[in-house]
Amino acid sequence: METIWLYQFRLIVIGDSTVGKSCLIRRFTEGRFAQVSDPTVGVDFFSRLVEIEPGKRIKLQIWDTAGQERFRSITRAYYRNSVGGLLLFDITNRRSFTNVHNWLEEAQSHVQPHNIVFLLVGHKCDLEAQRQVSLQEAEKLAGAFGMRYVETSARESINVEKAFVDLTRDIFALVLSGDIKIQDGWEGVKSGLVPNTVHSSEEVTKGNRQCFC
Amino acid sequence: MSLSWLLETDSKSLRSMNGSRRNSGSSLVSSSSASSNLSHLEEDTWIMWGRIVNEWEEMRKKKEKMLKDLVRKGIPHHFRAIVWQLLCTAQNMPIKDQYSELLKMTSPCEKLIRRDIARTYPEHDFFKEKDCSGQEVLFNVMKAYSLVDREVGYCQGSAFIVGLLLMQMPEEEAFCVFVKLMQDYRLRELFKPSMAELGLCMYQFESMIQEQLPELHIHFQAQSFHTSMYASSWFLTIFLTSFPLPVATRIFDIFMCEGLEIVFRVGLAILQMNQTELIQLDMEGMLQHFQRVIPHQLDSGPDKVITAAYQVKYNAKKMKKLEKEYTTIKTKEMEEQVEIKRLRTENRLLKQRIDTLEKESASLADRLIQGQVTRAQEAEENYLVKRELATVKQQSEEALAQLEQAKATIAHPRQQQQPQAKRAPRYCEESVLQLERELVQARLKEAESQCALMEMQDKILEVEKRNSSLPDDTNVARLQEELIGVKLREAEAVTGLKQLRQQVRDLEEHWQRHLARTRMLELETQNQIHSNHLRRAEQESRCLQECVQTLTGQNKDLHVQLQEIKRRQAEIECKSKEEVMAVRLREADNIAAMAELQQHISELEIQKEEGKVQGQLNHTDSSQYIHDLKDQISELKDEVRCLKGPRGLANQTNFDGIHIVNHYVGDNGSYQSSDEDAGKGPGLPGAQQRSGGRIRLRPNIPDTDSEEEEEEEDEEEEDEDSLRLSVPQSHKSTTV
Repeated sequence: METIWLYQFRLIVIGDSTVGKSCLIRRFTEGRFAQVSDPTVGVDFFSRLVEIEPGKRIKLQIWDTAGQERFRSITRAYYRNSVGGLLLFDITNRRSFTNVHNWLEEAQSHVQPHNIVFLLVGHKCDLEAQRQVSLQEAEKLAGAFGMRYVETSARESINVEKAFVDLTRDIFALVLSGDIKIQDGWEGVKSGLVPNTVHSSEEVTKGNRQCFC
Repeated sequence: MSLSWLLETDSKSLRSMNGSRRNSGSSLVSSSSASSNLSHLEEDTWIMWGRIVNEWEEMRKKKEKMLKDLVRKGIPHHFRAIVWQLLCTAQNMPIKDQYSELLKMTSPCEKLIRRDIARTYPEHDFFKEKDCSGQEVLFNVMKAYSLVDREVGYCQGSAFIVGLLLMQMPEEEAFCVFVKLMQDYRLRELFKPSMAELGLCMYQFESMIQEQLPELHIHFQAQSFHTSMYASSWFLTIFLTSFPLPVATRIFDIFMCEGLEIVFRVGLAILQMNQTELIQLDMEGMLQHFQRVIPHQLDSGPDKVITAAYQVKYNAKKMKKLEKEYTTIKTKEMEEQVEIKRLRTENRLLKQRIDTLEKESASLADRLIQGQVTRAQEAEENYLVKRELATVKQQSEEALAQLEQAKATIAHPRQQQQPQAKRAPRYCEESVLQLERELVQARLKEAESQCALMEMQDKILEVEKRNSSLPDDTNVARLQEELIGVKLREAEAVTGLKQLRQQVRDLEEHWQRHLARTRMLELETQNQIHSNHLRRAEQESRCLQECVQTLTGQNKDLHVQLQEIKRRQAEIECKSKEEVMAVRLREADNIAAMAELQQHISELEIQKEEGKVQGQLNHTDSSQYIHDLKDQISELKDEVRCLKGPRGLANQTNFDGIHIVNHYVGDNGSYQSSDEDAGKGPGLPGAQQRSGGRIRLRPNIPDTDSEEEEEEEDEEEEDEDSLRLSVPQSHKSTTV
């Protein structure tokens, strides 16, 4: 039996290879940290329910992408159907930070005519001794792009929930205000009205309840 | 490997060769490892494979089908290394010699490779430990390949294939096999930066699904479930990241033999096996199914899926056709993309141009309006000037005409009215005045009529204008004029608005200044108030300080006084104490004295009593005695008188006191003793204090006179010794 949720948001996680995208997502969705895991070949998929306010649950569908540049041909098909994105860089890797605006360009050029709400994430913040990107300049960059900035660590489970929940809240506010609309054929935002599974008849009847918004 | 070595058919020697390889530590695949206990079937297989390996070239050419079938059944673990190399003809590659050289070079992809090495086969023993030989070797091969094939460089995912190779054979051989795989088995295309081949595989795979599993295909479409969501890694890593290693290795055997076709087959077989479940799930459910369920379906072994794979229809020709289709689609897409980009840039440029043109036209419209306005003004001025000119001309003409008339009339009547010379000028004057008045009136009328005429003309023009709007030729002009009019109004409005804005801004400034001023004033007043407060507070504090000082002074004085008083008090106390002590002492003394006195008193009283008693006794005795004595006295007296009669009264003794001498001499002692005992103080009542034992009796027996009497008696003691009378001493002795 599926839990009832208000909306379903599709998020995409992008960033250079080895910044920790898969780890962050795994920490968020499975609650565990794997010291070593396979490099993402292509795309991976995860999902989780978050409660941004008491009684308001949002389902997040998260695409984990391969960071290596040549995989962009595969991953760019996923931008268009995403409403939110986590743009990750590794605070101990300067290159990953300078590549942030490349990723942003990439996303923005392939998401037309829609828009993605981004969150800039500085990952591996537990490795303070090897930091190569300061908090201030990252915040400055985030401000210039009009997005929030959060520093996270999947290993020490710092701000992992916060990153996803903040982004979800931002998107939710935009959905409520009407700046982001649900559209047919666009997978970025789905409302909890229509049952989205073709399960047993139970689900179908359950799905026809009143909207919560 | 040299041919001579290949000719060795002894399986044992093969095994020993295997033992020297590094991968003997890895616990892989189907057991039947270095143990010597092979089952018969396995032994047969081994022998067979040994033969195959020996006669490889022949087998390849003539018994291809059999070879294929055998490979499908699976290559025995220990033959893999050789057979794989044979299958891809990786022996005697020239590049093998370059390998060691390549290792010494640095590759631009080194960092990238390094980072991924630790993540490749992380659970596998061979690669688990950091800095272990497995990771080092993997790094080497990847680096070497990245140097050999600069175009592909390093692609994530390829490490899994190399890892698998390294589990079977040493690094040089693995490197050669890998090179061959990349070149001949489409892998290179898959891993190229463009990854175009992957797209093609997806396309081909999708069409296979559409053809052979139509329901599932429709379901995928409905759920927007793209092939790349699940199948990318299948093609890029030949199932090495999706399936358990034993299964994947078996599939790899077939891959080495038949190429990528097997991936399509197995992929479709998997979908077929899971069709029923997948159709019921939404996209998310399907993805989770792929992630969690499917890998475990093959735990039992690969045979099931491989047999299913070979039931899948694979049409090579169709694949080719699809390839062509795909390329055309892709090129079209590319072109479209290019076209779209071009159009986008053009669009942007055009927008920019529009902006600039709009700005220009706005400025031109402004200028036009300005020109129109000035021209209108000038036209008006012109008109006014013309009118004035016309009136003036007319006036001047009339004046001239009248002048001529006047001259004529003057010339004419002059001849007639010469005799009326006096009246003539007056008449002339009057007539001139009248004429002038008439002239003025005429001029006014004319001016009015001229005005009316001009108005009429204007109206006519307007009407003409309106009329002119009807024919089509002047439409554009009319529109332009309208536009101009509108723009004029707009400009006016804009200027008005600007003015208003300016006013608003000025007012705001004023307001701000005013606010600032008022705030300043407020702050100043507050400042003053605060400073006043401060001053008052300071004054108060000063007064208080002074008070404090005075009070402290007073306090000190009082303290001093208090101390003095205390001192005095102490002194007084001491004194009083002393006095008290003295008093007490005195009291004590007094008491003691009193006690003494009391004692004395008591003694005396006792004596007194004694005396009294004795006195009484004496008195009683003495009274009798006195009587006796008195009798005696009287007798004596009589005698004396009788005797003296003659002598005279010269020796009259005093009869102040009756000196009675005690003739009881013998009793003196006892009598005296009692007196002596009691008598120490003065004033013994009627008692003697002499050892004479004399008692002096007197008529009054006052106590106090006793001493005097005794004294008197002393003188007469000797005289009266003879006259001593002894008092009849009673035997009573009063003892105290």
